[in-house]
Amino acid sequence: MDKQAIKSRRLRRFIKNRLAVIGLAIVALIVLLAILAPVIAPYNPLQHDYDELLLSPSFEHLMGTDDLGRDIFSRVLYGTRYALLIGVAVVVLELLIGASLGFIAGYFGGGLETVIMRGVDTVLAIPTLILAIAIAGAFGGGLWVMIIAIAVAGWGEFTRLVRAQVLSLKELTYVEAARAIGAGQARIIFNHIVPNSMGPVLVYTTLYMPTAILWSAALSFLGLGAQPPTPEWGAIIADGRAFISYAWWIATFPGLAIMVTTLGFNFVGDGLRDALDPKFERRA
Amino acid sequence: MLTYIIRRLLITIPVLLGVTLIIFSLMHVSGDPVRLMFGPNVPKEKIVQKRIELGLDKPLVVQYFSWITRLAKGDLGRSIHVQDRVSALIKARIGPTLELTIIAIIFTLIFSIPIGVISAVKPYTVIDNVGRIFAMFWVSMPYFWLGLVFMILFGVKLHWLPISGRGGFLWTVEGFRHVLLPALTLGLPPLALFMRLIRSSMLEIINEDYVRTARSKGLREGTVIFRHALRNALIPVVTLLGLRLPWLFGGAVITETVFAWPGMGRLLVEAVTQRDYPVVQGIVLILAILVILSNLLTDLAYAYVDPRIRYE
Repeated sequence: MDKQAIKSRRLRRFIKNRLAVIGLAIVALIVLLAILAPVIAPYNPLQHDYDELLLSPSFEHLMGTDDLGRDIFSRVLYGTRYALLIGVAVVVLELLIGASLGFIAGYFGGGLETVIMRGVDTVLAIPTLILAIAIAGAFGGGLWVMIIAIAVAGWGEFTRLVRAQVLSLKELTYVEAARAIGAGQARIIFNHIVPNSMGPVLVYTTLYMPTAILWSAALSFLGLGAQPPTPEWGAIIADGRAFISYAWWIATFPGLAIMVTTLGFNFVGDGLRDALDPKFERRA
Repeated sequence: MLTYIIRRLLITIPVLLGVTLIIFSLMHVSGDPVRLMFGPNVPKEKIVQKRIELGLDKPLVVQYFSWITRLAKGDLGRSIHVQDRVSALIKARIGPTLELTIIAIIFTLIFSIPIGVISAVKPYTVIDNVGRIFAMFWVSMPYFWLGLVFMILFGVKLHWLPISGRGGFLWTVEGFRHVLLPALTLGLPPLALFMRLIRSSMLEIINEDYVRTARSKGLREGTVIFRHALRNALIPVVTLLGLRLPWLFGGAVITETVFAWPGMGRLLVEAVTQRDYPVVQGIVLILAILVILSNLLTDLAYAYVDPRIRYE
């Protein structure tokens, strides 16, 4: 089967998966909302309005207002920007650290591999969220401190995944054949190993986005991430926590936004996993 | 088996040392503990004197080794804030955390086993799809938000359950009522993962020869599913439980904070916000040791069940 046929078959399999398509639509919508936030938002997300404190949802304020009179809908809308920024930044950083270490460990092996993999064992022995909390706390919190803290705490799984991929690819006949015809290291790495390990990495990355978003929201909720008045979802929920007995809407809507976003990425990730699974390839 | 146990134990030593190294460096990036102890307006001599008293004037390597030696004797140091021994603080809080996590695991299993089994027995049907979407739903929810929603719903609106604190021992009515919401908050999100694993391993096992044999012997379907298939399908679940323990502890930190549950997680958050680093170090260390121990036990249990692992 040639490359093009495999690709189109995978694409068809992804499109047939209803949940995956719904997930993709959700993710596209979130991206669109993030880009268009200034156009759509009816109010300034940071603007206090002392005549409109703690209003319940209505036509003027679709998701109500908070204790400073800020419009929750506008704040949640701007929150999409932070969620995507944080998710992408964490994933990119972890890929940079985790994937490159995993690649080195898998491809070159030896003592270097032992050191890297013991490092992974060590980092994974400490619960990731707890390590991220401790690191973010040590540096005093803040949006970028939080992003780096999560990335530094969470790269271990990426390393394990990429190493396993590289190890299995290295032994395959076509890599051996490439070596036999005298292909250089660079050619083997970039033409054979990197492209073929992309699939699982892509799936894992998509499924990791929601985790990164959930963790960052948790850190912000604890006061270690985005600081007020930033309209970040976790921080808005933390704001609303004091008012849950009479203003449920402040904490509820940003939480729903987190849920829909993570659900979207999870659906896409699951769909990608099924579409790229070679088990289906043989059956097809 | 003995060689395997020894080899497996030897691997944990560098990991444990690595963990102490990470925890030790955390202390040193978080700022001068003496300044944190005294606040800004304290004469310089007093600070210098306290630094010498605590051994903070010595090189880092020396400090690390003396810290590790103290750790080995079970001395986790004293809290900067309340002056109590860290070990005493943790001892008072570890019970409630374990109680919460164990009840949460029970909830995860109570929900995931039936859904997983039904999905596997009737794969690709409406029930299967609904079950899978139901499970996926929980995994996408942030713990702290789920906790707040439960509080609004069952506490504030319906007045069914208390929304904060611990009501005493688990076996008392109040104790049980208090643990319900936090344990559900912690136990429902991992549902999808367990359900999916049970479904796939059940699907595999249902097609095994011994299950067919059991059926052809004329056993009732219930007996076949529960006695023959489910028992074997639960083996990977044990591994997943071991692997998910760090996540569970992470979730417990958030859940305890939301529900004012007097556990280690809440102590950790308090300590982080007060920059009480000896306490943070102590808790992170204890949690890491619990994770390492559970990984060890999972591996040993596996080697016991499956002799091939021992000889690898």
